[in-house]
Amino acid sequence: MFTLYRKLLVLYPAQHREQFGEEMADVFRQAEQSRVGLIARGRFYLKELAGILQGILREHLRILVGGDAALSLYTRRFTMHNGFRFPKTTAVLMTVILAGVVLAIHKGEVIATSLPPFSQPVTPIHPAHSYLLPGVVAGFLFFYAVGLAGWVILFALRRSGVHRLDEMSTERK
Amino acid sequence: MALYDMSPEAIMEQLPLTEPVLLILLSLADEPRHGYSILKDIERMSDGRVLLSTGTLYGALRRLLEDKWIERFAEQESSRGRQAYRLTSHGRRNLQLEITRMKHLTRLASLRVATKES
Repeated sequence: MFTLYRKLLVLYPAQHREQFGEEMADVFRQAEQSRVGLIARGRFYLKELAGILQGILREHLRILVGGDAALSLYTRRFTMHNGFRFPKTTAVLMTVILAGVVLAIHKGEVIATSLPPFSQPVTPIHPAHSYLLPGVVAGFLFFYAVGLAGWVILFALRRSGVHRLDEMSTERK
Repeated sequence: MALYDMSPEAIMEQLPLTEPVLLILLSLADEPRHGYSILKDIERMSDGRVLLSTGTLYGALRRLLEDKWIERFAEQESSRGRQAYRLTSHGRRNLQLEITRMKHLTRLASLRVATKES
């Protein structure tokens, strides 16, 4: 698990990784060792995976957006409870996707090291024009993006306080 | 807003704090700590209710460092040159402001609830 964690750390922006990467790995290892029992350790891994994926996303978006304006630490400042947490299902989906990416990178490295020296030109055995896999991936990404957009809209509506309008009209009755 | 804006308006704009950030600052108010020590202290302070992941912790620490609420230094006792964090005077003042705000809020809440009950 520690190896996977280190691989995921690579996905952080370079600046964050250089500043905190080693320290985060060190803290992860210490915290991992302090969790005794299968359930405690399993919960710890899930929490860490969700946390690191959120962190990677937040840091990249911060660079893209140019500041913490949209993703500041203070987004839940009026609530002081966990009502506006990043949806767990999204975190799980992102975990699956990122685990796939990490595995693909790992597999690519294994294949690259096991290939013979490049002496003869490699020709395909048969032309491969399958659209199945890219189609499935594109479809998945599309629905994922639609779901994420929906969540963002709902989140924005909730932040704007629209849901309280019903409560106001009930109070008037 | 500038990264290190110390005007009262800029400070009030950043308050209230989220629970994890407040707990990190409270943990450092006592004494300087390194990452793992902050995690354990927060767990202890919240009776095991708040368990921060390392991703969340270092996201918050990065932001607090950027805003100069905390500072980072190499621990002298540690042979590996482990990094530790401590509150700056700016951070301590902001934490005090947040505590005052919360006291006011709880006092107000108590008064309102008491009035309603009577």
